Amino acid sequence: MTPEKLALTTTSPAPRPRSEGGTDSALAAELTRSLGPKKVLSNLSERLSYRYDAIQFGVTPLAVVLPESTEDVIATVRAARRAGVSIVGRGAASGLSGGAAPMREAVVISFTRMTKLEIFPERREAVAQPGVITLAVTEAARPHGLIYPPDPASFRTSTIGGNLGENAGGPLCFKYGVTGDYVTALDFVDAEGELHSLTRDAYDLAGLLIGSEGTLGLITSATLRLTPPPRFTRTLMAHFAEVGQVAEAVSAAIAAGAVPGKLEFMDGACTNAVEDYLHLGLPRDAGAVLLVDTDGDDLDTVEEERALVEAACLQAGGQVRRAASDAESAALWQARRSVSPALGRIRPQRMNEDIVVPRSVLPEVVREIRALGDASGLKLVQFGHIGDGNLHPNILFDPRRESEEAVHLLAHQIALVAIRHGGVLSGEHGIGTMKREFMRDAVDPETMTALRNVKRALDPAGALNPGKILPDPEDA
Amino acid sequence: MNNDIPVRELGPQGEVMAHAVDACVHCGFCLPACPTYALLGDEMDSPRGRIVLMKEVLEGGLDLLDAAPHLDRCLGCQACVTACPSGVPYGELITSFRGWSEPQRRRSPLDRAKRYAILKALPAPRLFSVAARVGQYAKPLAPALPAALRGPLDLLPEHVPAMQPSPRVTPAQGPRRGRVAFLTGCAQQALAPNFNAATLRVLARNGIEVVIPEGQGCCGAAALHTGARDEALRLVRANLDAFNPDDYDAVLSNAAGCGAGLKEYPVILHGLHDEARAKAFAAKVQDISEYLAGLVREGGLEPFMPASRSLKVAYHDACHLAHAQGVRAAPRELLRMIPGVSIVEIPEGDLCCGSAGTYNLEQPELAGQLGARKAGHILSTAPDLIASGNIGCHTQIQSHVRRQGSAAPVMHTVEVLDRAYRGEL
Ligand SMILES: Cc1cc2nc3c(=O)[nH]c(=O)nc-3n(C[C@H](O)[C@H](O)[C@H](O)COP(=O)(O)OP(=O)(O)OC[C@H]3O[C@@H](n4cnc5c(N)ncnc54)[C@H](O)[C@@H]3O)c2cc1C
Ligand code: SF4
Ligand code: SF4
Repeated sequence: MTPEKLALTTTSPAPRPRSEGGTDSALAAELTRSLGPKKVLSNLSERLSYRYDAIQFGVTPLAVVLPESTEDVIATVRAARRAGVSIVGRGAASGLSGGAAPMREAVVISFTRMTKLEIFPERREAVAQPGVITLAVTEAARPHGLIYPPDPASFRTSTIGGNLGENAGGPLCFKYGVTGDYVTALDFVDAEGELHSLTRDAYDLAGLLIGSEGTLGLITSATLRLTPPPRFTRTLMAHFAEVGQVAEAVSAAIAAGAVPGKLEFMDGACTNAVEDYLHLGLPRDAGAVLLVDTDGDDLDTVEEERALVEAACLQAGGQVRRAASDAESAALWQARRSVSPALGRIRPQRMNEDIVVPRSVLPEVVREIRALGDASGLKLVQFGHIGDGNLHPNILFDPRRESEEAVHLLAHQIALVAIRHGGVLSGEHGIGTMKREFMRDAVDPETMTALRNVKRALDPAGALNPGKILPDPEDA
Repeated sequence: MNNDIPVRELGPQGEVMAHAVDACVHCGFCLPACPTYALLGDEMDSPRGRIVLMKEVLEGGLDLLDAAPHLDRCLGCQACVTACPSGVPYGELITSFRGWSEPQRRRSPLDRAKRYAILKALPAPRLFSVAARVGQYAKPLAPALPAALRGPLDLLPEHVPAMQPSPRVTPAQGPRRGRVAFLTGCAQQALAPNFNAATLRVLARNGIEVVIPEGQGCCGAAALHTGARDEALRLVRANLDAFNPDDYDAVLSNAAGCGAGLKEYPVILHGLHDEARAKAFAAKVQDISEYLAGLVREGGLEPFMPASRSLKVAYHDACHLAHAQGVRAAPRELLRMIPGVSIVEIPEGDLCCGSAGTYNLEQPELAGQLGARKAGHILSTAPDLIASGNIGCHTQIQSHVRRQGSAAPVMHTVEVLDRAYRGEL
C-alpha cells in the first residue's frame, strides 16, 4: 500500500511499537522529572489512548503530557526538542481529518486540563485556554446576555484549541462566520519553546496559526469575541425527492434576499441513520432534508425571511414543515448535529470530505457527486452547511468487504469535482492526513513552495505535527 | 472501528464484543456524558478510550493488567450509550468483557474477600440483613477504618429495618385489571422493605394482582457486572425457571438495576440454549413506573389525595432506569399526577450519582466525589423531597445530602405514590 493509501485507511493498523525503547522512556522520565508524575503519561495503556482522533489511528506516542499551564507547554516543547522528538497537539480528538493522530513517534500534548475561561462582558470578550470545551464559552457568556457563535456539531466535545487548529465552522457560520472570525488575539508557543502574543494587526500571524492544525505552533490562550444572541429564531424543515432540489431551493432563497442563520442539509441515508438514533419522525422516504433557522432582533423580518425560504422550497418541489415549538426546533437541530456519528450505523468506517463550492454551482455539484457515488457501487452520503456551499460527502465502507483503493479513487474524484467547479478541499475540518495528497491538485507548485517556506520559517526542524497538511515534496 | 478481535476463540460473547467495537466510530460524542471523564479528564477513562483499551486487550496488543485500572473505574452507568449516535452497545461490551476477563485477574486477598462477601450476601436477603445490621454498628467507627472497609459502610442506609415477609399473592382491589409477577429484589428487601410494600399496595389499589413467584432470586446483575459470569448464569437460569412469562401481563421490578439486569438476559444467554426463553422473558419485563404509566393510558389510575402542601420534588434519574432502560418520562408523569407536586430538574441530571452497584466498594474515592457532586446539584434546586427509582441511588443520595446538611426526605417514586394514596404526603 502506498503511503497516501495508508493515510486514507481511517483506522489503519499503524505500526505499534510494543517495546518500551530507550529514547522514549528517557524522554518520559525527563518530562516526569520536570513536570511531576501527574502530568505525564507513560504506560502503554495510557499512550495507546492518545494515538487516534475521530477518523484515524496513528502511531502510539512516546509520551503524553497533560499540561496545566503555558509553562508546562514550554517545558515540554523544549524537552522534546532536545530529544529530537516531534510534537502533536491534541484537544478532544474529535477532528475529522486525522489532525491529532501522530504520524510518527511523538510527544502528544493534550490540552484537556487547560480549561481556564474568563468572560469580560464589558469588552464582549472571553479569554480561553485551549482545553475549554466549545459549548462552555457560550454557557459562561449567556448570563451576561452574550454568546459565542461558532458552533461545530461537535461543540459539546471539541475544544477551543482544536477549533482554532481546524478553524472550525458550524451551522451558524453562514450568517455569523467561523472560529477565525471571532479571534481577536492569541498566544502560542513555537517549535523552539518560545511564547508569542499575537493580535490581528500587522502581518496577521494569528490568522496564519488559525487552521494550521498544530503544524506552526501550539496555541495556549485565545481572546474570543462574543455577541448578543438574536432575539428571535424560527425553524423550518423541508424535504425533497432529490438532493439537487435542496441546492436549487437554497440558491433561490438566498438570491431572493434571505440571510438565514443556519442552512443545513442531509440526504436520505443521513436522515434515516439519525432517525434510527433519535426517532423524531423525520421523513424517511425523502431524498434530502433541508433545515433552516432564520433569526434576528426584529420578528417581522425573521418571519419574512422564513416565508422567503419556504417559497423557494415549495418552488423547488419540496414539502415544508415549520417547527411549532422551541423543543421541536431543538430536536431538529440535535438531529442535524448527530448526522456524522449516526452514519456509523450504516458502515463502520468512512472517508469524510469537506469541500466548499460556489453556491451558484451547488445543484450541479451535488448531482455530480451523487452520480459518482452511484457509479462506484460504494455507499455515498451527503450532508453539510449548504448555505456556505460546504458539503460533506462521506464514503461509508467496511474494510473487510470493500476495497480501499475504490474508496480512495472515489474520494479523489469528488475532490476533483470541487476543484473543477472553483471550490476548495476543506471548509472546516482541515486537511490533516486525509486530504494531504489532494493538495497537489488544489495548490499550484509556486503556492506550495510559499506554504513550505512559511512552515520552515516557524518550524525549521519540522517537529510540529509532521505528516499533516503539506504533502511530502515529490523528490523526497 | 476496524479490529482483529479473534471472535471464534472468544465464543458467543466474542461476537457481542466485536460487534460493539465495530460500531464505534471513535467520534468522541460520548465523552462529555461520562462521569469518570468528567472527574479525571483523560482519554483512558472515557467511553471511547475504554472501547479502544478493550479492543487492544482482546486483540492481544495490550496486557489486561495494564488496561484494568481504567476499565475498573467504569461505573457501567451507560450514559455513553444514551449519548452515542452510532448505537454502540457499550453496556453489552463492558459486561461481556468483564465476564471474559475476570477469571484471568489476580486480585489481592482483601479484594477477593470483599467481592466474595458481597456476591454471596447480595442474593441472600436474610444474610444481607444480618450483615447490614452488623455494619450499622460499625458505622460510627468509619472514620477510623481503612478506606477499603469504609466503602461498604457507605452503602448502608441510616436505619436498617427489620425484614418483612412478602405475601406470595396480593389480590387486586376491586375488579381485576391485570396480573403481574414481581421480582422482590435481594439487598433491597433487607435495606428498604417499604419499597416493596408500597409497590404491592399501589398495584393492588389499581386492580392489579401481584404474584411473587417462588424460587426467584437475585437478578444476577451484580455478579455479572463484577465479572462473576458462572454465578450470574446460575442466578439467571433460576429466575427463568421461576417466572413463566406466559402466566403474567408483565414481570415487574422496582429496582432500576435489577430491571435492567432482567432485560439483559438475552445478551447474557446469547448463543446459549436458553436464549429464546430469555427473549420471551425479557420482553415482559418492565419497571414499575413504566407499567403504571401504561395503566394511565389504559383507563387511568385511581386518583391521588392532594399533598398537604405544595411539594417541589427533585426527581433523580437512576442510570439503570434512564440510560439502560430508557425510562425517563414515566416516573415524572406519575409524580406530576399528584395534586400539589411539581418536579424540578437537577443540573447535570444525566451524571451518575456514583452508587452504581458495588462501585462504592471498588472505587470509594470516585464514588464519593460523584456522590458529593450529585448531592450539591440536587440541593441547589432546594427540593422538599427527593425521588428516585433505585435502591443504590437512594442510599448514596441520602448519605450525601445528609452530609451536606439537608434533611429532605429521599424516597422511591412508588413510595411517593403510595403516600399520596394514603393522604400522608
Ligand atoms: C461528529 C462530529 C461532528 C463534527 N462537526 C463539525 C462541524 O460541524 N464543524 C467543524 O468545523 N468541525 C466539525 N467536526 C470536526 C471537529 O470536531 C473539529 O475539527 C474540532 O474543532 C476539533 O476540535 P478538537 O478539540 O477535538 O481538536 P483535535 O481533533 O484534538 O485537534 C484538531 C487539530 O488541532 C490541533 N490542535 C489541537 N489543540 C491545539 C492547540 N492548542 N494549538 C495548536 N493546535 C492544536 C491538533 O493538532 C489537530 O491538528 C466534527 C467532528 C465530529 C466527530
Ligand atoms: S459516541 Fe459512540 S461511536 Fe462515538 S466514540 Fe462514543 S461510543 Fe464510539
Ligand atoms: S458506562 Fe458510564 S462510566 Fe462507563 S464509560 Fe460509559 S459513561 Fe463512562
